[in-house]
Amino acid sequence: MHDRDGGGLVSARLRVDWPACRAEGLCHELVPDLVSLDEWGYPVVHGEVDESRLREARAAARQCPRLALRLIED
Amino acid sequence: MTTPSPVPHSDAPRVHVGPLLLSGAAEGPGLAAHRARWGTLPRASAADLAERAEAVGLGGRGGAGFPFATKLRTVAAGGRRSAVVVNASEGEPASAKDAGLLLTAPHLVLDGVALAARALGVREAHVVLPGDRPQVAAAVRAALAERDDPRLRWHTATATPRFVAGQSRAVLELLAGRPNLPVTAWAPDAMAGLHGRPTLLSNAETYAHVAALALAGVASYSRQGSREEPGTTLLSVGVGAGGPHVHEVPLGSRMVDVLPPQAWGRPVLVGGFHGTWTSWDTLATATVSPRSLAALGVPLGAGVVHVPAPGTCPLELTARIVSYLAGQSAGRCGPCANGLPALAQAVTAVTHGRPGAVDRVAELTGLVAGRGACAHPDGTVRLVRSALTTLHTEVGAHAHGWCTTATAVAS
Repeated sequence: MHDRDGGGLVSARLRVDWPACRAEGLCHELVPDLVSLDEWGYPVVHGEVDESRLREARAAARQCPRLALRLIED
Repeated sequence: MTTPSPVPHSDAPRVHVGPLLLSGAAEGPGLAAHRARWGTLPRASAADLAERAEAVGLGGRGGAGFPFATKLRTVAAGGRRSAVVVNASEGEPASAKDAGLLLTAPHLVLDGVALAARALGVREAHVVLPGDRPQVAAAVRAALAERDDPRLRWHTATATPRFVAGQSRAVLELLAGRPNLPVTAWAPDAMAGLHGRPTLLSNAETYAHVAALALAGVASYSRQGSREEPGTTLLSVGVGAGGPHVHEVPLGSRMVDVLPPQAWGRPVLVGGFHGTWTSWDTLATATVSPRSLAALGVPLGAGVVHVPAPGTCPLELTARIVSYLAGQSAGRCGPCANGLPALAQAVTAVTHGRPGAVDRVAELTGLVAGRGACAHPDGTVRLVRSALTTLHTEVGAHAHGWCTTATAVAS
């Protein structure tokens, strides 16, 4: 669970599959501090996901009705 | 409603004889003349082709400039049956360099594809033709009918006439039998492209350079260009709606030598509709070099150099281009589908000098950038941001109900 530079924690970020997203907005309801919505209702994801939030981020990705949100962990 | 492009797609650009790829441009596009000039196709391994490309630092010529050697090695290392695709769709209206190359030297492009296919042990090659340049598509079909490649079958597919149809993932969708529109790439094409296979997808000009490197050799190829950047590049140089001229220019040449007289003293759009407005002062000392131009913040992209027609305001031209680009969105990604029409309106409002319009443009570019499956929103944002900075005098003039271009013409 360490990155290539050694020592640091795994970086994880939410990524939107834009053609699949239909602005349902559930991601924002589930993790409002990780995802806000733009003026058209589409998600704006905020930077990296802290390790303490990984479980919630995964859940948000899993529950997207369009399966348009992925948590990229590397 | 879609706005037409302020620059029409050119199907018959004026092609000038060049030092390397276009050296046979006056001899006709036939296979016999091509073989007489370039000789027969050698056999080359993927490692050999990659080594040659690396020796001259060959970057992709579709716009992104990704190192060809890295791409080829990734595909070769994929350990699975791979796919080879040449993208000749050239959706950018202001570009005509692939059209010019395919009309005059189609076999050099096809040689590059055949070399790569053979090196990768692939027996099929895919050629993606432009949907809005029928003469170019016909020229490629005529060239394919002349080919005599052993154990290689050629397949053609025609791109939808749409700006984003030439984007690499959109091309792979087309070849897979789905709508010719961009989708999200979770891995590079070279790792998982067509049907999930490692895919060598490159621009037409890129393959022509690969062929020239194999046919003429690295030493002969490197007689063109500079020590740091050997070789040449194709440029589409256009003024207004007049069809562009296609020039093959040694890398490191002075930019002023290829600019038409109408460009002198005026801002020029470098890199096409996803490109960068560049001041005359910057261009006057710049060289045709992907590396040095990138350092100036002016990526050469696919080699488009567009000069507004005399009397055309570059800011108003930008508004027309953004309206066109908004209509060219595939409409699949929310921020692009909603943001580009709003951005087009806001840029038009800037040309009308409306209060708050510049702030709205800044807000929208921030909302659109980086939020789509393809480069369309980012490229449009690049164009708009460069307009606000490079054309700031014009923006200020319009805010006061003036236009410096119109004034210059009137005086």
